[in-house]
Amino acid sequence: MVDLDPEQLDRYSRHVIMDDVGPSGQAALLDASVLVVGAGGLGSPVLQYLAAAGIGRLGIVDDDAVERSNLQRQVLHTDDDVGRPKVDSASEFVADLNPDVTVDAYETRLTRDNADELIADYDLVVDASDNFGTRYLVNDACTLAGTPVSHGAIYRFEGQVTTFSGEGPCYRCLFPSAPPEGAVPDCATAGVLGVLPGTIGCFQATEVVKWFLDEGESLDGRLLVYDASEMSVDEVPIAPNPDCPVCGSEPVLSSVTEAAYDGRCSLSESADD
Amino acid sequence: MRVTVEIVGGETREVEVAVGDSYVDLLAPTDLSPHTVSILVDGTPVPEDQPVETDHVRVVRLVKGG
Repeated sequence: MVDLDPEQLDRYSRHVIMDDVGPSGQAALLDASVLVVGAGGLGSPVLQYLAAAGIGRLGIVDDDAVERSNLQRQVLHTDDDVGRPKVDSASEFVADLNPDVTVDAYETRLTRDNADELIADYDLVVDASDNFGTRYLVNDACTLAGTPVSHGAIYRFEGQVTTFSGEGPCYRCLFPSAPPEGAVPDCATAGVLGVLPGTIGCFQATEVVKWFLDEGESLDGRLLVYDASEMSVDEVPIAPNPDCPVCGSEPVLSSVTEAAYDGRCSLSESADD
Repeated sequence: MRVTVEIVGGETREVEVAVGDSYVDLLAPTDLSPHTVSILVDGTPVPEDQPVETDHVRVVRLVKGG
């Protein structure tokens, strides 16, 4: 466990003074490691607040470069960053904000060939991705490894957020396979309210911090659905699905290298291929 | 039989189903494609081609943006 030095006692004083956090809780955050998949709309607030909270090591996976159209919501990046790799501007932001945080930047896409190795090096994974292939890959690799995942997704005015503990239920318990290519529009096609990923990403960061503090009630087993237009929140219970191909009673997946993460990401289809 | 169809983040509808109707028929009055949602009974997805055996479902949209 990390001992807090005088500068850290000052930096984290509003945490340390809380009975629910205290020096030991802050030390647990400094001792933690989180892999954030995606440094875009959701990844921006997640990385900002996890860095500020003093999560000791943050991995950032993203193979995109900053575009001007990102800046309406991806608040890690600035106008001067247009054209630069997102992992570079994200890493610089974190380093400038908090020197306590070690940043591992991976300018790559998460693939079935690198997922296991990347995930194995972290205590928890944040799914801040923008495509179904990555979402199913994160779920499958983390569930097989028993690694907890904070899941967030956004569409126009709607946001979804939950936490998967790594012991089930998992994303496939709720959504067994992805929709056909193009059936669900992305933000580039349908648009997204700029502040929405801020709200959902902050929910995710809250869940991550609570996870390491072992404090409060997690979203494990329930999906929060937020409607920014109506300012309403619905909660959907997620039950462990005995037919889930990853965490069910008769799982069909033993390694993500066996599966295909394009199209519908269906494990039965990949088994037939 | 009347089934309450609760679209999470949207409206709730009462849908009349006939014997033998399947879960996908519950989406007919909506503009939702069965490929883009999960139909949940007690928190677990049901196969869309199975006959309806409940009076309440929740419909959750798949969302990919990030």
